[in-house]
Amino acid sequence: MMQFEIGGKIINNRLFVGTGKLPDYSIIKNMYEELKIEVFAVAVRRINTDRNKGNSILDFIPRDATIMINTSGARNHKEAVKIALIGREITGSNWVKIEITGEMKYLFPDNEETIKASEILVKEGFKVFPYISPDLIIAKKLEEKGVSAVMPLGSPIGSNKGIDSEILIKAIINEISIPVIIDAGIGKPSHAAKAMELGADAVLINTAIATSNDPLNMARAFNYAVRAGRLAYEIGLPEEKDYASASSPLHDLIKSLD
Amino acid sequence: MLVNDMEVKYNGNIKELLLKLEYPLEKIAVLVNGELIKKEDWEKYYLKDEDYVEIVSLVGGG
Repeated sequence: MMQFEIGGKIINNRLFVGTGKLPDYSIIKNMYEELKIEVFAVAVRRINTDRNKGNSILDFIPRDATIMINTSGARNHKEAVKIALIGREITGSNWVKIEITGEMKYLFPDNEETIKASEILVKEGFKVFPYISPDLIIAKKLEEKGVSAVMPLGSPIGSNKGIDSEILIKAIINEISIPVIIDAGIGKPSHAAKAMELGADAVLINTAIATSNDPLNMARAFNYAVRAGRLAYEIGLPEEKDYASASSPLHDLIKSLD
Repeated sequence: MLVNDMEVKYNGNIKELLLKLEYPLEKIAVLVNGELIKKEDWEKYYLKDEDYVEIVSLVGGG
């Protein structure tokens, strides 16, 4: 089933899309209408008087779509909380992705600060989606704080390396009961399919779609992959073996061939 | 005062400032000295010369 419940809503598409680096915001509307993508992440920034005065990304996000406010730019929990409150004031949306950057080379999240921000924002009535390094204990602590999902990274943001910590991600999927969204590093449709086959509830993809030569059609390719991976997961994937297991019968072989 | 780090000579409330500088009144938020000022308070909030004002909106992001 592509439909699932998350953050107090019924969502019909397990592909969430980040809108950073898109060459043209009008693609968002096409993704919503043609591909039925429902969740879009956005960031909060100062208005640049030369570039975007009077021209908001909100003009391009359909009213029925779900806006996920990203706290990117925050370096600690206090900044993340403030960005979330600003984002909610502007959009009315209470979905917040907590992204607190701990260092600038790998853009790894500060899990400790993320827990602090999550606790505050859950109390403020937000649906909280923390972006974390894949760590089961952190995920469990966040679950206890009442977050709506956890978003472990597949690999560093924008790296296109896919899921580089499968065992850690799998442990989170197996051991917590809230949804798990794989966020960051998913570069190819096969990575997205892999995430879904592992049992992730959704994926959030930005760079691989936004910076492709044709973002709308790349989103379409990811859409297929997410659906394929999820369907296979729900049916149940076969067991892996180290040796061959013949597909054709090994009995009743023809005896007069030589 | 500074508005998004630009020096602005101005005396009045937040709403008038936004109109004077031709900012949109929708889909933005205003911070004065780091504090979020809700839209319903824009008309009664009078700015001082030493205030640090930031006008923010949404952009593409992951």
